[in-house]
Amino acid sequence: MRKILSLIILASLFAVSNRVAAQDNLSPQRKQAIDSLALEKVRDLSKYISIIGDKKTPWSDAQRVIERAVELFMENSEIGVSSLSRQDVNYYKVREYFDRLMQLNYDRVTIDWYKIQYVSDLVRQPDGTYVGVITIYQRFQAYDKEKGLVYEDTTKKDITVYVKRKETQIGGRLIGFWDVMLGDIRVKETSK
Amino acid sequence: MRYIFWIVMLWFPLSAFSQGSIGSFTGDESVFYAQTKQVNQFFMRFNGEEDVQGKRYYPGNPAYRDLKARKKYLNMLFDNSSPVISSDLKFVFIDDALNKKNPAFLDFYSQGWYAEVAASFFYKKEKVNIILYLKIEKQLKGYKWVISNVYFDRFQSWFTHLNDTVNLKYFIHPMSHELDFMNLHKAFREPENLDFYFEKEYQPDMTALFVMEMKNKNLSFIAVNNVKFHVFQVPNWYFELSWFNRNNVNSGWLISNVLRVNEVEKKNLLRNYTHVN
Repeated sequence: MRKILSLIILASLFAVSNRVAAQDNLSPQRKQAIDSLALEKVRDLSKYISIIGDKKTPWSDAQRVIERAVELFMENSEIGVSSLSRQDVNYYKVREYFDRLMQLNYDRVTIDWYKIQYVSDLVRQPDGTYVGVITIYQRFQAYDKEKGLVYEDTTKKDITVYVKRKETQIGGRLIGFWDVMLGDIRVKETSK
Repeated sequence: MRYIFWIVMLWFPLSAFSQGSIGSFTGDESVFYAQTKQVNQFFMRFNGEEDVQGKRYYPGNPAYRDLKARKKYLNMLFDNSSPVISSDLKFVFIDDALNKKNPAFLDFYSQGWYAEVAASFFYKKEKVNIILYLKIEKQLKGYKWVISNVYFDRFQSWFTHLNDTVNLKYFIHPMSHELDFMNLHKAFREPENLDFYFEKEYQPDMTALFVMEMKNKNLSFIAVNNVKFHVFQVPNWYFELSWFNRNNVNSGWLISNVLRVNEVEKKNLLRNYTHVN
């Protein structure tokens, strides 16, 4: 329902058009509108990660949220993770990453997101899709029943965003809209 | 003194992000605001195309590419701990880059900048490090990164005798043509000396060797270990851009080296980053 609503809002924002050629260069206003839509997806992702990582979330609910989270991504998207102690990057499929997050062996986990975010330019790739990167920061804390806080880190997450011009028929009219999907994510631990 | 700019600017209300924040965590974010978080942001800050909190300026806005603001920004875009960047060199670079008559700007879409990717591979089951150089290339209406050169010490070691002009042993004598080059088999009997037999201007193509070894499945990719950039877009200058992961305002993508270069020096440097036949 939410998806349909955002589709209609976006369609009305960008007006009816078959003039796809006119979309070659994004105006600042259009770029801002697309940024908002992309940030909405990233916001959804951050909420899902918090729910999946929360030890109080029942297994079946976590599974449902993982499904929703995976739907945000393009097929074959991966998450590349490195830490301060390990320079090599480990690559995980999105679903595998969420499964590992759900199964972390701690009694309690808190995941917080900083307010700061940075949205790059959107650059067109050869197939016509625009690609950008949104940077956000996450604080992760893990607790043990007896020892209390046993692990914490702050990670920088650079999230690929794909933006594609699509068309759909609503009430017999051809409506153009921008479809936003998430892609690969690079996760880097920040210096303490 | 150099941090005062950041400290003052970071007191500004955080309402610049009109699109709404992802999170609500109220921890200290000053380092993250100051940090040059993306290469894209380095370009924006260098060009004076965004404010300190990352809000874009567009043409028509008086703040867009404002020289005074750029001067402040540029000072912040250097690795302050670098022993190779003297304050004099930094001063001259900034002075040149912000030349009132012809200021320099960085352009994502233009030639003159290269990515250097240090990656690990398996080479015949042994873990090795290989450097890939990439550049931006236009295709149809879009752009993509393409591999412009490769450095692998194992490939280099196959060409240690190149351009040799003193050896008196390994050559194909000048009348060999009369014998249908029947003596070639002697030259090829010792592959370790094969590179004595090439013309003196010969430059091996490391990218071709890389392709061959990948396609023959002798090389397989493991992971990227480090990325940096080499930029030639400021006339008469070269600078290197590296990622600094540290908990202070002088962090993120920063200039880690800068050199004044003439055209010949520039050409020599470029030879590292892009294969020249």
